[in-house]
Amino acid sequence: MSTVPTPDIEKELAKLPPAVLESYKAALPLMESSFNAEELLLWAKEGVAIATQTVRSWESAVEYHKVGPQVSKALAFPSFMQWARCGTYLSQDSPTLAVAFFHSSPSIVGNLRPQYIPRWAGLGRSLYKGTWKSSTLAAKFFEVSPDLIRSLPFWDVEVFVSLIEALSYKSYDVAVECLALGKDVLPAMGREREAFLSMTRSLAEGSWREVKTCLELAPRTLQQLEDAQTGRFLKLGERLAKMGLRDTARFLADGTQALAQVTPSAQGHILDLSELLISVAPEAVPAFLKSLENVLGRITLNQLDTWFQQGAQLLKENRESGIAFFKVESNTSEALLETLSSSLELERVKGVIRLYCRALSGSPIEVMNTKELVRKNIGWVDEDTASTDGTKVFLPPVVDHYLSKDENFAWFKVVSTHQVGHLEFGSFQFQFEKPAALFENRRIALEQQRGIAVPEQAVEPMAAEHAEAASEGQTQSFTDIGRFLHLFDNRKLAFDLFTVLEDCRLDYRVRVEYPGIRTAAEKVQIEARKGRPNIEELPLQEALVELLLHMSLEQFTDLPVPVEHREVAEMLARILHTLRNESANVEDTSEATLRAYELISRLQNEEQPEDQWEPEDLDDPGEFSEEDYQNLVDKLQAGQEEAGDQGEGEPYDSPEPVDYRGDFKPEMVQLLSKLQSDKNQQGDGPQLTKEQLEQLLQESAELELDAEQGDANQNMSQFAQNLMKEAGVPPPNAQPGQGYGPQLHDDDQGGELEAKEPRTYVYDEWDFRAGDYKPRWCIVKEKTLEEGEHSFYNESLRNYSSLLAHIKRQFELIMPESFRKIYRLIDGEDVDLNAALEAVADLRMGVSPDEKIYWRRNKIQRDVAVVFLLDMSASTAEAIDEGRHTTDDRDAPDDPVEYMVWLRRRREGLVRRHYKRIIDLEKESIALLIQALESIGDTYGIYGFSGYGRENVEFYVIKDIAESFGEKIKRRIDKITPLHATRMGAAIRHAITKLENQDATTKIFFLISDGRPQDRGYSREGVEKEYAVHDTHMALLEAKRKDIIPFCLTVDKAGHDYLKAMCGDMGYEVLGDIWALPERLPMLYRKLTF
Amino acid sequence: MVEAVGPEFKEYAIEEFLVRREPYYRPVGDEVELFTAAYHQHIPVLLKGPTGCGKTRFVEYMAWKLGRPVTTIRRNDQQELREGEVRVPLVTIACHEDLTASDLVGRYLLDAEGTRWIDGPMTRAVKTGAILYLDEVVEARKDTTVLIHPLTDHRRILPVEKRGTIIEADDRFLLCISYNPHYQSALKDLKQSTRQRFISVEFNYPPREIEAEIIAKESGCSPAQADALSKFGEKVRNLREHGLQEGASTRLLIYAGRLMTQGIPARRACQVAIVWTLTDEPELQRSVEEVASSIFE
Ligand SMILES: Nc1ncnc2c1ncn2[C@@H]1O[C@H](COP(=O)(O)OP(=O)(O)OP(=O)(O)O)[C@@H](O)[C@H]1O
Ligand SMILES: [Mg+2]
Repeated sequence: MSTVPTPDIEKELAKLPPAVLESYKAALPLMESSFNAEELLLWAKEGVAIATQTVRSWESAVEYHKVGPQVSKALAFPSFMQWARCGTYLSQDSPTLAVAFFHSSPSIVGNLRPQYIPRWAGLGRSLYKGTWKSSTLAAKFFEVSPDLIRSLPFWDVEVFVSLIEALSYKSYDVAVECLALGKDVLPAMGREREAFLSMTRSLAEGSWREVKTCLELAPRTLQQLEDAQTGRFLKLGERLAKMGLRDTARFLADGTQALAQVTPSAQGHILDLSELLISVAPEAVPAFLKSLENVLGRITLNQLDTWFQQGAQLLKENRESGIAFFKVESNTSEALLETLSSSLELERVKGVIRLYCRALSGSPIEVMNTKELVRKNIGWVDEDTASTDGTKVFLPPVVDHYLSKDENFAWFKVVSTHQVGHLEFGSFQFQFEKPAALFENRRIALEQQRGIAVPEQAVEPMAAEHAEAASEGQTQSFTDIGRFLHLFDNRKLAFDLFTVLEDCRLDYRVRVEYPGIRTAAEKVQIEARKGRPNIEELPLQEALVELLLHMSLEQFTDLPVPVEHREVAEMLARILHTLRNESANVEDTSEATLRAYELISRLQNEEQPEDQWEPEDLDDPGEFSEEDYQNLVDKLQAGQEEAGDQGEGEPYDSPEPVDYRGDFKPEMVQLLSKLQSDKNQQGDGPQLTKEQLEQLLQESAELELDAEQGDANQNMSQFAQNLMKEAGVPPPNAQPGQGYGPQLHDDDQGGELEAKEPRTYVYDEWDFRAGDYKPRWCIVKEKTLEEGEHSFYNESLRNYSSLLAHIKRQFELIMPESFRKIYRLIDGEDVDLNAALEAVADLRMGVSPDEKIYWRRNKIQRDVAVVFLLDMSASTAEAIDEGRHTTDDRDAPDDPVEYMVWLRRRREGLVRRHYKRIIDLEKESIALLIQALESIGDTYGIYGFSGYGRENVEFYVIKDIAESFGEKIKRRIDKITPLHATRMGAAIRHAITKLENQDATTKIFFLISDGRPQDRGYSREGVEKEYAVHDTHMALLEAKRKDIIPFCLTVDKAGHDYLKAMCGDMGYEVLGDIWALPERLPMLYRKLTF
Repeated sequence: MVEAVGPEFKEYAIEEFLVRREPYYRPVGDEVELFTAAYHQHIPVLLKGPTGCGKTRFVEYMAWKLGRPVTTIRRNDQQELREGEVRVPLVTIACHEDLTASDLVGRYLLDAEGTRWIDGPMTRAVKTGAILYLDEVVEARKDTTVLIHPLTDHRRILPVEKRGTIIEADDRFLLCISYNPHYQSALKDLKQSTRQRFISVEFNYPPREIEAEIIAKESGCSPAQADALSKFGEKVRNLREHGLQEGASTRLLIYAGRLMTQGIPARRACQVAIVWTLTDEPELQRSVEEVASSIFE
């Protein structure tokens, strides 16, 4: 029991308006439950103190008494008294303040740590400046405090109050309004609050009126931004405000709207750009952001960089026009947008073009950026022109020749059709000894006449001594094209003629075969003619080549012809026209080249006087006749002899290349494929040494080296090396003089292996070249995978919960299917009408009827055993959909444009830092699959494999076929990681043994891989690559022979290129979209087994 | 006044269906010789090949050709059999998963007087010496193999279990089955013991020139259009290993040709007859359309 505080207190209070004593008496009994007598006394005394501060402070005391019981429940006595004293001080200044303070307290004290209470009171006090308006503001603060304190860190409340205080110096009304707004707006904000406050705080001085608008706008606008970017955006606003930008509110509105147009990761990039801009000219930032919506409606984000860069440049030179540029109020800006928006990036249409090229050529063409070809440094140098190396078509990264995307796309099509034409119509198939279709064959005769020894090595394998001799520098040609070009002294001229004539033949063929692109092609040809030099101004030989070139571009009329050599020009036209025929082949081109060369090379390469040219139409020069041609050659020859030695004339220069026809390098292509096929013959053909190759390259008419002779040699050597690399020949041998001997398997040495340790097994390997197995060639080491955490498994199920539900439903759907009606039973659900009729019929016939006249739904015993084999090779560590960009700042490029691109990539990387690797998806898929398999009760085993070299094929047991599923298995899945290489054959053979002993009616072997089989001595470029594919194929066939159904699923998009060979008519699937794996894997399995 | 024309159709008993008019078939390789030889030697034939490449048409043609009167001159009234004339009826059965052995062999039926045995199509074919063509044989129930096996070895018999009889096949009888090796379900593959009772004739889409000839003939489009269509077909088939499940069949090319004869523009005809039929994948569609737009003006 507590004692009642002294009657003195009541006496004191009684002097005041009665409400005070009343409130005291009402509170007292309630307070007794919290405080002891001593404490009660102190509480009561403080009440008196409050009440007697000023005339009106009795009001505060009433409030103090009122809230006391509630507050006392939340605060320990010392804190309580501290709180009370805060009130006392406030009431000293202004009873209104104190009332407000006490009034809010019950809702505050539970949410604020006691030591902050005085600071809170102090915040209110700081707003009070002795005036009536200020006391209203301060009281308002206490009023809204519960909302603020409950949801803001105290620090933010302090910043906010300091903002309000700053505003109050300008206008109390605005300050009050903002306070009220803040109460609603700020609690709803997330992490961006701090940045927002900091930004508005910076407005309070100069543009205080905008604070309110910003507060009003904030909730609507900021939510449009990606969380991570809001802070940056506001910081930007703050910087701008500090730099004196007016209209921050507008920035907030426009800026957020602009950013809302783009994807979250792109928002970061836009902010990068804005930050870059701020350092150049802050006022350009709002202009930039405001235009963004419009601009991005016209060009892509990639193109935006180009546009931006030009604007930034302009800004540096001239502020005014820079700003106009960003506002898209300048012609430069408009024009650039126009061009950019119609230009077409290869990246965007690569997929379509690739399929297009594959359809046309019928071979697995790859489409690549010309940059990639130049980078290989194997002879192609021009980034802007298209090309092909026989298996890939190279196209420029961007086309902007025309004003619409469609036209630009048509350009891509024309160019790739031309490039693929080289393959489709056989440019690279040239054979020296194959007869031409339309011309008589003069090649062989010419070769004999010129006394060139028939280079049998080009046709027949060369004997070893020959190889020696050849490497000593004797001229020889390794390719058919090379052999052909060797017929001519001026190889450059011959090669140029060959190029022009072959292109002419192709363009004609394309015209006939693909009339659909004729219009586009003509446009491109007309375009190509525009930039050509004037024929009349060239020295004669070059002029005639140029003349042919014009005709090859479909210009036949009004061509300048040298009067003195009209006959030659006409003969050339006839030769060219002969090639414009569907049955002309590449050998015809060579014959045409030979003839054109014989004519042109007999003329002096001198400029002709202007009046020596006359326009002529060459669209119908008449039939070519061998006889007329020979007469003309003889005549020229005679003329030449008569004139005697007139000097050399000017040195011959090649014509300007025609852009769309690209870089035609048949010799290089033949060389590459020759190098490759040599290697594949495993040494029984002639091998080309690096020295020979270098010499060959020196002589090639196709290579133009800009370098001085000095480092040309070095270049050659580099070329040769690169070429060999491209062809898949390993780097030079350590022993000098040995050159490139027969390519043996790395581990052909050594021999049969023996499995000595426990759980190791030895298998044969199929050698397709020998057509036989290499006995006991690989050792498979079986290991049980370690156990990790089971959380991975459970998490996968959770992450894919809806997919999982779907999959389960799908698997359950099978159930009715597998409940087949079984007919002709002795007993069942119902009478089988057919059987019953038959039975009745039998009865009538006097035959004893079959009693089996019922049917019943019956569960068909599913009897499936399956083994899954998972590729755990190192390549599965590859991140999906992510460039292999490091996030290391050290490789940041200096060039601003590249820097921006780099920055964006990096940011995207950061945003998506939880990227997935192929293996992760494989693991998740396995988790889902297990669920599905468990639900239908098939027998199954799951294994992984990797390894390095034939002695170390690692085979991991994830779930052995005999094991039952459980925690252990879940934990093993966690430990599936990318390891080494993939020697598929051996792993498959081992997996098969797991299935072999099962006695299920249906046995399935299911391989999940991410690429080609690969291992040391198993899969190098060229022959080994095939070796691996063949061995894998054989292993799958072995499975099939054991009545096991093999199936391969690969996530390698390039899988089409080899899976056909690897799987033959066994089932396989190439998964285009790796993300689909978790869904596809169970579904495929389902499809396969029902 | 226009007289209402009633529906017109003809109904034949299954074994009486004779291929009377010469079906158009353009031989591609030696398949006609092979089939003829097999027929005379009683060797069952398996036709392998992708959809729409002419397997069914070929069998029709062979039925007609093998049944052609050798000695008598053909007369207008084709219904009537002449002395010494052989007719080879063609019985075609499209197999499905509910097709059972008794569907093929026959069963007792009740009728007003009592019961009556009705021969199934297989029995009828065996009796009349028809060419029995089981289309997509892998689809049929496994118990049908019980019937196929004795019919396709040297015995050439059909046991009719229900009646306790065995029918020896007519001398002219031949069993021919078709099979599309494209993987469907691992569980539906022909067993070796079944497969090895047939000779296998591989069918594929005909080479460009021949296919053009077929298209022109079958669709009535111009030779130039047919040329372009067969070229298109060839190009599209190049994509078979690069994403397309199946190449464009001859049948589809003919459809496109037929649409073109009705005045549908070529590119559009290709789009609806080929592109959209073959794939739903946008990038592939676009690529194939680009090929079409290069080939057709
Ligand atoms: N060699 C050919 N001679 C004449 N017509 C042919 C030939 N090849 C195909 N056709 C045409 O192609 C069409 C499709 O052929 P058919 O119906 O015989 O194909 P199928 O191989 O039986 O296909 P499915 O496997 O889908 O049943 C035929 O209607 C016919 O017009
Ligand atoms: Mg058919």
